[in-house]
Amino acid sequence: MSIAVPHGGPVAAPPPPEPTPAEPNYLNHSYGIWSWLTTVDHKRIGILYLVSISVFFVVGGLAAGLVRLNLLSYNSALLTEDAYNRAFTAHGVVMLFFFLIPAVPGVLGNFFIPMMVGAKDMAFPKLNLASWYVFMAGAAFGVWAILTGGIDTGWTLYPPYSSRSSQSNVVPGVIGVFISGFSSIMTGLNIMVTVHKMRCPGMTWGRMPLFVWSLYATSLIQLLGTPVVAITVLLLGVERVAGIGIFDPSIGGDPLLFQHLFWFYSHPAVYIMILPGMGVVSEIITCFSRKNIFGYHAVAWSSMGIAVVGFLLWAHHMFVAGISFYAAMLFSFLSMLVAVPSAIKVFNWTGTLYRGSITFQAPMLFTLGFLVLFTIGGLTGLFLATLGTDIHLHDTYFVVAHFHFVMVGGMVLAYMAGIHFWWPKMTGRMYSDWWSRVAASIIIVGFFLTFIPQFIIGYHGMPRRYPNYPAEFQVYNVMSTAGASILGLGYLLPAFYLTLSLFYGKKAPANPWSATGLEWQTPSPPTVHNFDHKPVVVCGPYEYAIGVDQMGRGLPEPPGPGEAQDPASRSGPTPPPGPQQKETEVVG
Amino acid sequence: MSWILPVVPVMASTLAERFEALFWYIVLVTTGAAVLVYGAMLYFCIAYRRNESNTQTPRILGSTRLEIAWTILPTIIFFTFFAWGAIVYRFAVHPPRDAEEIFVIGKQWMWKAQYTPREIDGVKYTPRVIIGGNPANMDEVDRRNIGRLVVPINRPVKVTMISEDVIHDFGIPAFRSKMDVLPGRYTTAWYHPTRLGEYHIFCDQYCGTWHSLMVGKVAVVTEDEYARFFTGEGSPQGTNNPADGTPAADGRQLFLKLQCITCHSADSQARAPVLEGLYNRPIPGHPGKVADDEYIRESIEQPLEKVVEGWQPIMPSYAGKVTKEEMRALIMYIRSLKPGMTPKRTEMNVPPVGAPVTPPPQDTGSGGKK
Repeated sequence: MSIAVPHGGPVAAPPPPEPTPAEPNYLNHSYGIWSWLTTVDHKRIGILYLVSISVFFVVGGLAAGLVRLNLLSYNSALLTEDAYNRAFTAHGVVMLFFFLIPAVPGVLGNFFIPMMVGAKDMAFPKLNLASWYVFMAGAAFGVWAILTGGIDTGWTLYPPYSSRSSQSNVVPGVIGVFISGFSSIMTGLNIMVTVHKMRCPGMTWGRMPLFVWSLYATSLIQLLGTPVVAITVLLLGVERVAGIGIFDPSIGGDPLLFQHLFWFYSHPAVYIMILPGMGVVSEIITCFSRKNIFGYHAVAWSSMGIAVVGFLLWAHHMFVAGISFYAAMLFSFLSMLVAVPSAIKVFNWTGTLYRGSITFQAPMLFTLGFLVLFTIGGLTGLFLATLGTDIHLHDTYFVVAHFHFVMVGGMVLAYMAGIHFWWPKMTGRMYSDWWSRVAASIIIVGFFLTFIPQFIIGYHGMPRRYPNYPAEFQVYNVMSTAGASILGLGYLLPAFYLTLSLFYGKKAPANPWSATGLEWQTPSPPTVHNFDHKPVVVCGPYEYAIGVDQMGRGLPEPPGPGEAQDPASRSGPTPPPGPQQKETEVVG
Repeated sequence: MSWILPVVPVMASTLAERFEALFWYIVLVTTGAAVLVYGAMLYFCIAYRRNESNTQTPRILGSTRLEIAWTILPTIIFFTFFAWGAIVYRFAVHPPRDAEEIFVIGKQWMWKAQYTPREIDGVKYTPRVIIGGNPANMDEVDRRNIGRLVVPINRPVKVTMISEDVIHDFGIPAFRSKMDVLPGRYTTAWYHPTRLGEYHIFCDQYCGTWHSLMVGKVAVVTEDEYARFFTGEGSPQGTNNPADGTPAADGRQLFLKLQCITCHSADSQARAPVLEGLYNRPIPGHPGKVADDEYIRESIEQPLEKVVEGWQPIMPSYAGKVTKEEMRALIMYIRSLKPGMTPKRTEMNVPPVGAPVTPPPQDTGSGGKK
């Protein structure tokens, strides 16, 4: 049932003329490596992050490839046990600390938060550049640790193994984590202050794009959580180097203390990784279904809910670690609470599709992939939050599969979606529409084949971090490795067509997807100071139904269903569809 | 071995049954939810794809009633998971009072189990088994004792665990049980096995190089076999000798120490009958007589009384040379001997009866003066 009520909202106005492309933009206003290394332009810093985390993604992916290849045999035929342990640790450390955590905040956040709130830069441009240098310094330690022998503790670094027993480069590794943590804090602080202080006139909290909301929530976690992990790894380093008993019971420490401190950060850290992805998805799903987001306030506040409640459930990683029955009850209960806002988001995204006008370009395909995979990731998390089932599933491949469904199926797909969505804006070039759709499909199929078998062997009890495993699990591991090969191919494709687009891609119009955000009101690529005139926001972020952007101006014709689908084939402004009277519908 | 795993892994304990009920409840509910969401997505994506007749969209901002509904409904469902999960967990972490206790020690990279002592003929015996691990890191005695954890069926068993070095985890998937094994602190798990058989034991907490070899087996056996494990007569633990710390294991050491092995060996130079599978068998040349306890005792103390047909009467008498307990141990050992279990005559380094099975820690010379 739906009731139609007249709305007092904005009506369509003529779209703005296409900005002249000859203007100097942020890419060509100065040249040379030095102009990049000393830049304080948030857009260039975003590109610096993009290049560096892409390298780390390849490094972490190669380590994953080694792990999967080795698991083809049940007796570790390819690698020695020590080499295998180093490979999965390298995969975990690089992917988590040097790819997933900085991915969306560092690349898309740096690039688009100021543009989305109508500012010409971040609140602290120099701190922003410093964050990249600090990140690279931390990453240098991490890479040093991996190249000079590796770390064999797993990314979780549990003592007393890591502090007493491990014969590997734990100290440089934790220094890397320690240092790169500061970069995360700097980025979080910068985004938070920018959102508070730099919004343009009319950009109220209720009109901010949901991407901004989600990064605001992320920044909250980064600011409050990262210092805790910094202290934790520092204590670990002190114990390892100086032999001061903190975590090792043989010298008076408590190993569970480390787990509490570590997960106090590292559980919220998974929300640092996934929340920005949720923001990306909210932007794309509205644009490609030409709809207002269903339940703006629900989606925005659920991000904040996740950020806050996410701090209260760290010990659900420790249900079989020897915590008390009552503590386990409490943390299981709180873990159920955090599942609710995630569920709300999924329902609202689905609701957004309702009566839309949906097209399926690569960003939307990645987003739909996100919705499917993240839903499975979230639902399987319930098995692990439930005490009775976690006993058996803990530390098995079920956990591995769950985590990858959320982090790769969720976060990496959202990141890919965001990169494909904003690539024309960042580079001024369109990539191949066909190849990008092919890549999205291959990645989703490869992902399913990789991780669904892991749920099965995990349910049957195969422990994680096992290069030698009982032969009955081999078929499933071979399937998983086969899927990983397809997944790897899927990741290679964007590397090719995105790179090629820089040289051979068609010039992108200012607003190729006909999106409403302020970032699309600048030329592609943007000028150095983003906006020639201070933008004034007159309405909320997703007025696709009426067809106006946030400044109340009309939108160009969106990419259509037929041959006009390729956004690059449309150039210049299209005539305004004329003022329309549209009614707001209230559903339900 | 089948290449395809069964839909439901083998369930061998009461906890496994409780786990499966809860697990499939969550599977059912989450699958239902996923099908609803995916169905809606698929329908919307097909029905509302853009075409010439579908370029305009309505301005729908949301629905408070729907938001409330899909906030409260999942919350209620999630709380049913929580509540049922807490009930199963409470069952899993609280062993019953009458559970028999087994101590398990984890170290890089092996599991050792030690059973609660049982008194047999006035002497306390404590069976010990090496459950599994990497043989490359063990000494000769431990290697010989690599076997299985033996638990009785239909009776609760409590496992109290501690680690000698780093954190391990003692997990038995068939029992749906798992518990971290911490250094400097006891943790417990308990099982009520319901199905005979042999199941995996895994170390589930990463513990270093040979983590993946810190695996073993648990054998669920009948009450009768369990009793024979305690005396050492049976070897449900799967080693080629009686479990360490049983009367029969003492007998084995006596068998070597008293040089019985010199003649009663299983090789071609044997000068006396091999004793494998002897117990309760008819004795050649002595119709109507079987090799029972009394016959074995007599044959040790008065060997020339009933010599087996075909062998020379060369065995000296051990009367007065073995105590009553030692005699009992020897009989237990001979009762336990199955084909292929006779030790090699050249077995080196026989430790004295009652000696600890693992050597004392080596003094590395790095300690300070005391």
